Amino acid sequence: MKTVSTAFKYAIVAFIVLIALIPFYVLLYLALNAPSSHSFRGLFLVPEFHFANFAEAWKGSKIDKSIFNSLVITSGAVALIVLVSSSAGYSIARFRHKANALIFNTLLLCLTIPAIIITVPLYSLMKSIHGINTHWAMILLMAANAMPLSVFLYSSFIRTLPKEVEESAIIDGCTYFTAFWRITFHFVRPVTSAVVILTGLGIWNNYGQAVFFLQKQEMRTVPLAVSMFFQTYGAEWNKMAATALIGLLPAVAVFLVFQKYFIKGIMAGALKG
Amino acid sequence: MQTFRKLSANLHLYMAVPAILLFGVFFIYPLTRGIGISLTDSNGITAPHFIGIRNFIDFFHDDRARTDVRNTILFALGSAPLLNMFGLLYALLLDRKMAGKGIVRTIVYLPAVISPLIMGYIWYFILQPERGYISHVLQQVGLESWDVNWLGVSSSALVVLILVNVWQYVGMTMIIFLAGLQSIPAELYEAARIDGAGDRSSLWHITLPLLYPAIKINVVTNIIGSLSVFDIIVSLTDGGPGYATESLSIYILRMLYGNSTGYSTAVALIMFIIIIIPVFVFLKLTRKREYEL
Repeated sequence: MKTVSTAFKYAIVAFIVLIALIPFYVLLYLALNAPSSHSFRGLFLVPEFHFANFAEAWKGSKIDKSIFNSLVITSGAVALIVLVSSSAGYSIARFRHKANALIFNTLLLCLTIPAIIITVPLYSLMKSIHGINTHWAMILLMAANAMPLSVFLYSSFIRTLPKEVEESAIIDGCTYFTAFWRITFHFVRPVTSAVVILTGLGIWNNYGQAVFFLQKQEMRTVPLAVSMFFQTYGAEWNKMAATALIGLLPAVAVFLVFQKYFIKGIMAGALKG
Repeated sequence: MQTFRKLSANLHLYMAVPAILLFGVFFIYPLTRGIGISLTDSNGITAPHFIGIRNFIDFFHDDRARTDVRNTILFALGSAPLLNMFGLLYALLLDRKMAGKGIVRTIVYLPAVISPLIMGYIWYFILQPERGYISHVLQQVGLESWDVNWLGVSSSALVVLILVNVWQYVGMTMIIFLAGLQSIPAELYEAARIDGAGDRSSLWHITLPLLYPAIKINVVTNIIGSLSVFDIIVSLTDGGPGYATESLSIYILRMLYGNSTGYSTAVALIMFIIIIIPVFVFLKLTRKREYEL
């Protein structure tokens, strides 16, 4: 009886794993298909191993430029998010004065507002600061959108840390400011992982705002480059999939590197808040 | 010099200022300007005139907007419970001692790494009428009559969108539930077992009540996420057939291209209200339900 239920459990787990891998397999299948083949062969999706798609996608969509843009915007924004929101979370968690309480409540209230609803006024703002089609404005915008969630996660986590963490450094002559960067910042690593994964993936995959503020071809990010294969030339499945796969690699790599602390960070940051 | 020294000693008090400055410039300022724009007939070309709340009144006579509100709410009503249910089932299954559960968790989460835009294209490839993979399989095995145009019928198109969304983000809800499960001390289950409680009653009386914080986070993020759904609809159905799967956020952005900026901003503010009401009602309802350890 026990072995039957164990076998049943493993069968369910195997099923879960298989359906989670469907999109990756479909992308791989499409990316390795010859450009001319529009029909299926046989019942199953067996690719033709036409590796040239990757080279063509690389040239055709200037994917190198798109990956560069995505990398600059995502890494710039994530670095800014980690620096700004961890220090804000620290100040809010440790030093309770009226301004900090106001800042925290404002951010918390805005946690529920999707960024898409401010597109119109944001567009005129971006235009007036000459931020359309620039990396720096997109970095600032993406970082700003992530503030509510990341400040919330950091401050909730720092509240659970004992104050003694900084106190010894204060005795050694640090100010509270330097004590944070030298000591506390290292203790919040689980939240940093969670913030890097959550906000980083969101920015890497951002389409709703990129489509408005990055209109020039040489400013395109990966999602914009992928969508081009549907708009300009009809559906070019093989090149779309090759581009999508190339663009997926950095995201998966970062996820795998940071995932070790991910659960811990979400747990400490979100559940205790 | 004196003031500088004093400032640097008190720097820790002002460390939240950069965060609120950044957020203020790129979010709060546009949000407040948006309220102003929503009261005008701004179209991005001619000078805008103040027209009071006419945009908001127009909204209630706008059939397309009403369809979109209905679609958006149906999408959320379908997505949020399913995401929570499957996320919890997955978490309970993968919380137990099992070889390779770490790898399984990672794989289950991986679909969330793919951009929803690309995910929509992938499922379009599988489900598209006549040339899709499912159609092909049905033709091969002689079941042409089962070949329904899933994306071409309004009700099934919405169901497909919900299922794809649930299936993509179930890993995310699962992770929050796993975190919640790990915070429940094992001694509680031990004590319950000694008192003669079975697996099922432990689940009802220990696991679920103590998972409230995790359920709360999941429900709130799912409501916000599904009410602002955008990318996946763009790539999977593009709002079709007709406007049958168009969401509010797509309508808002399409009106921008059509230069109805004043009206679009008003609809955006209405969308904000539509999102914030269920979130607050839910938070209010669950406030007393939390159990402290």
